[in-house]
Amino acid sequence: MDFTRRAALATVGAVGLGTVAGCLGGATGSDGGGDTGDTTPIGDHPAAGGLDAQPALGAADAGATVVAFEDPSCPTCRNFERGTGARLKDGPVADGDLRFVSRVYPIIYPWGKPAVQALEAVYARDEDAYWTLFDHYFAEQDSFDEDNVLDLTGSFLREATGLDAAAVVGDAAAEEYDDAVQADLDAGRASGANRTPTLFLFRDGDYVTRATGNVSYETIASALQL
Amino acid sequence: MSGANRLTRARRRVGLPRLPSSRRDARLVARTVRLVLGVPAYAAVAVVVAVLALSGFVLSQNVALVRDTVVGGVLPLDARLTILFEQYPFVGTSYGPVAGAMLVLIAVLTGANVAVVAYHLRENGVLGGDGDTGADAGPGSGAGGGSLGSAVGVVLGALGAGCAACGSAVLVGVLSLVGASGVVLFLPFDGLEFTLLALVPLGLSLFWLADGMRGAEIRGCPVDI
Repeated sequence: MDFTRRAALATVGAVGLGTVAGCLGGATGSDGGGDTGDTTPIGDHPAAGGLDAQPALGAADAGATVVAFEDPSCPTCRNFERGTGARLKDGPVADGDLRFVSRVYPIIYPWGKPAVQALEAVYARDEDAYWTLFDHYFAEQDSFDEDNVLDLTGSFLREATGLDAAAVVGDAAAEEYDDAVQADLDAGRASGANRTPTLFLFRDGDYVTRATGNVSYETIASALQL
Repeated sequence: MSGANRLTRARRRVGLPRLPSSRRDARLVARTVRLVLGVPAYAAVAVVVAVLALSGFVLSQNVALVRDTVVGGVLPLDARLTILFEQYPFVGTSYGPVAGAMLVLIAVLTGANVAVVAYHLRENGVLGGDGDTGADAGPGSGAGGGSLGSAVGVVLGALGAGCAACGSAVLVGVLSLVGASGVVLFLPFDGLEFTLLALVPLGLSLFWLADGMRGAEIRGCPVDI
């Protein structure tokens, strides 16, 4: 009897530990991908590959840079954008102290994949419209699913921008700008971004650290001394 | 034979500990925890463990951030402390009120678990010490299972808290290991369900401990309902 009970409990423990190992793997995995704790020049950091081709807000020569990997379908990204993201853009970005760079990273819900195709198709035409659509996805996140996202995107672009909405939707459906999406996915994987949002922080041209989840404005402002 | 009786017989056959089934069992757990935490030293143990558990849960979500800016780096002390405290629920923004409350609850339960285990091991002489061994509290009793169950509960508690805090991406990754990544689409609370599940082993371990300590005395009071 005792052996059976021990075996049962050991099995439960083993399953628990095995699953924890998976979780801890995710946590420690977030340290991987080139982060060594040392400062790395932004030009050499895998998260910042092809940075000049990315949608960005703020002065190009700002002292601090945040490279944000986000998924339009990610609820945590929505919370981050509503709080910390908005404060960063209204404060340090507007003041010229921070450059906020967006990289798409569709890894949460399926509708995020066509959504980022649409974002890249819009960015290729008009950067301001990119941020308009970016904000719209988070503002109306609960409205989207895999079947309606491109239709709703087309409707929104027709009403809110001067873009050819049908052309954008057509390009998104055909994944005409998939190279840009893949560049972001490759940069995220190379830098070990396995959650969204993942934010890579740089100060005076050097890597400082990374932060994941809905981290506070104070966290980023303190880390970058804004 | 009723279904409940059949389940009980099956449980006894495989040697699994008794499961709580009534308010009486809940009162037993509450009374045991209250009596143990009424001893200042064990209350202190519970508080310290709860703080450590909560710190472990939340800081593990941003290891690189803590390592690079709080432990290492060149930031002034006030910036380091700001970053550190901002990672905790109800201080920073990483956790909503429900997720934050769940994390705190799991940390508190973890602290209570460890304090009761410590009491049981130390005062009831489970490890063969010279404490007062209660009639039902020897090794191999329900409390023995409770001790192990507590350890499992703490581990699973950490898992649940960690996974809920990780967000959907890690949850999808974990579920995809068993070919069930689509399940996340049906989780209305984005993985907080796993934290709720973590409460089960923590609660069970407390019950097994209390059940095994039944008949023993804590601060002069018999643990019995």
